[in-house]
Amino acid sequence: MTDGDYDYLIKLLALGDSGVGKTTFLYRYTDNKFNPKFITTVGIDFREKRVAYTASNPNGTATGKTFKVHLQLWDTAGQERFRSLTTAFFRDAMGFLLMFDLTSQQSFLNVRNWMSQLQANAYCENPDIVLVGNKADLADQREVQEKQAKELADKCGIPYFETSAATGAEVDKAVITLLDLVMKRMEQCVDKPPADPANGNGAAKLGEGQPNEKRCAC
Amino acid sequence: MDLSFLHVLERERVLEVLQRDRNLRMIEEERIRKMKCDLQELRRKGAKSYARQYGERTCARCQRPLGKLWNTGAVCRGCSHRICNRCRVGVADWKCTVCYAYREVKIRSGEWFLEERAKKFAATTDKYETIGEKLLKFYCVQRHIAVVPPTPPPHMEYEFRGRFRELKNSKAFTQSMEDLMVCFRSHIKKFSNSQNDVRGDLLTVDPNGKASCFRYSTQKSLSDTDINKSCSLTKRESLPNLFKKSKDSDHESSSTGAEEETSFSSEHSFDHRSSISSISTECGIFEGILVSGEMELAVAYNSSGSCLEITVGGCRNLTYGNSKKKKSHPYVKLYVLPDKNSKMKTSVKKNTTEPVYNEVFKYNIERHLLFGKRLQASVWHSGTLTKKVFLGEVLIPLDAWRQENSSFQGFYWYPLCPKAETLNGVTAENNGH
Ligand SMILES: Nc1nc2c(ncn2[C@@H]2O[C@H](COP(=O)(O)OP(=O)(O)O)[C@@H](O)[C@H]2O)c(=O)[nH]1
Ligand SMILES: [Mg+2]
Ligand SMILES: [Zn+2]
Ligand SMILES: [Zn+2]
Repeated sequence: MTDGDYDYLIKLLALGDSGVGKTTFLYRYTDNKFNPKFITTVGIDFREKRVAYTASNPNGTATGKTFKVHLQLWDTAGQERFRSLTTAFFRDAMGFLLMFDLTSQQSFLNVRNWMSQLQANAYCENPDIVLVGNKADLADQREVQEKQAKELADKCGIPYFETSAATGAEVDKAVITLLDLVMKRMEQCVDKPPADPANGNGAAKLGEGQPNEKRCAC
Repeated sequence: MDLSFLHVLERERVLEVLQRDRNLRMIEEERIRKMKCDLQELRRKGAKSYARQYGERTCARCQRPLGKLWNTGAVCRGCSHRICNRCRVGVADWKCTVCYAYREVKIRSGEWFLEERAKKFAATTDKYETIGEKLLKFYCVQRHIAVVPPTPPPHMEYEFRGRFRELKNSKAFTQSMEDLMVCFRSHIKKFSNSQNDVRGDLLTVDPNGKASCFRYSTQKSLSDTDINKSCSLTKRESLPNLFKKSKDSDHESSSTGAEEETSFSSEHSFDHRSSISSISTECGIFEGILVSGEMELAVAYNSSGSCLEITVGGCRNLTYGNSKKKKSHPYVKLYVLPDKNSKMKTSVKKNTTEPVYNEVFKYNIERHLLFGKRLQASVWHSGTLTKKVFLGEVLIPLDAWRQENSSFQGFYWYPLCPKAETLNGVTAENNGH
């Protein structure tokens, strides 16, 4: 499916406890299908999707320019025994889908741990993250209230979505929101003034040094 | 990081994933390479110079004259040059075409990400290598141990060993592993001796401009002109909208005074980093080193002396020639291609990735003979004993200097590229000392 005909390669990564639905979520996003079987992810995996991205102004209006974005969506195993492998991959991702299971209080409690894992291993201290509460379709089994999760997300200053990989609800929105954050981040990174002003202007060097003719003998 | 904690089957699964990742990465690297080639072309074109009335106010990008009352031009925030209306991108917060292209490439190539990450993980491993790449390299090598015949190494670059030493898992990695790498290396070396052929094809992009093909043909070496041809093929519209504007304005084909380019690049933050480095995996494979940084050169034709005067200003953001020890003793070597007897070298600067040379070289040649000639300026790390490590090169077509009054004479920062072709002179570098 891949050719080089795209404008940006954006690498995102899904993390969170085992069983929260990372693999299923990504499969829903890329293929729009649901797989009710639970197949443990071995260490790491990734899926790809080509999307059209339309840049928007800060006020939210579209600027009209549309780009082709190739998404590489890394899936990680949540299990402890793969931890050293999966966290090593954190450093190569530009944005993160931090997922928990709305029907598991424990998976929500672990969000903080995952946050600190990110802080330690991601490319910067405050990478772009979207908090995702998955399995919203299982309303009767819900253990985590929206308010609770929203509070945490607000505290961390990140967006929060309640998704269902089973129905597809909010799945696209969560990913696109993250993509949008990353795209904005790129612009900020290149537009902020360089930390160290360039010293040494080329033209100034002209006079210095002793222009001596040299020819190598060997 | 290694995969020894996984079961055999699990490891196979992970390696499969990493292999898929590698395929994607190769496409990405090729895309970036083209993007950066286009950018270099844009810079080069912008700097190509023709006769220009002294003192006339012109746009720094297209060289169209600027009026006194209308179209007076305005100063670009990126490079501080006076720019006409036509050479601006954006409305309120506009930039000139070159500044815009720089910014765009930095975003689209993912360079922004590498820069950010380098701030956090300053002195750790290779800036460009992903963890997947690293693991894959290590395991693929290990899995092929049995296949490689144990021949003694003809020569070996210390650097290459150094890189693998970083990768190795101390218990799994033995002396025999190192020997293996050495002969792996020598095989590649043999293979790359016929690089002229390979290169031509590496550069070939299929006419549809789709995925490029890495055909390793058996045809004998390309002549210089063939190489030029295939180089020009690489110019494709990978940044379609981006360069249109400048292309339109280019056919008047006048250009900047190069001294303007100089001040431009020294201010530009993109220049703090490598240009082509992140894409130089092919170079990484051949040489065990990644290319980064730029070289500052001034080229002028001296009519009274009938010679080409090449001033090597310096380099910046070079990779370490010896990444293990984080050391570089760089020097610059010049050739006026295709003349293989034209070798000129600067002095060696010790322990720096930002060497300043300010050395002038003269190459005697009639002006009209510059047609079709190219200046090859390569940076080498002068390692222990006779080991030379390639750090990058710049190839500059000299046709523009055939014009009288060529004002393209000032200093200019050129992005360093992976090795474009093997010359006799270059191969001799390893033996000739
Ligand atoms: N009902 C429901 N089940 C889900 C949802 N997402 C995942 N699952 C199920 O939860 C189990 C674990 O999902 P999986 O994607 O393998 O979790 P991972 O370990 O995070 O990758 C599987 O049986 C899925 O079918 C969802 O949104 N709704
Ligand atoms: Mg999974
Ligand atoms: Zn102009
Ligand atoms: Zn500018």
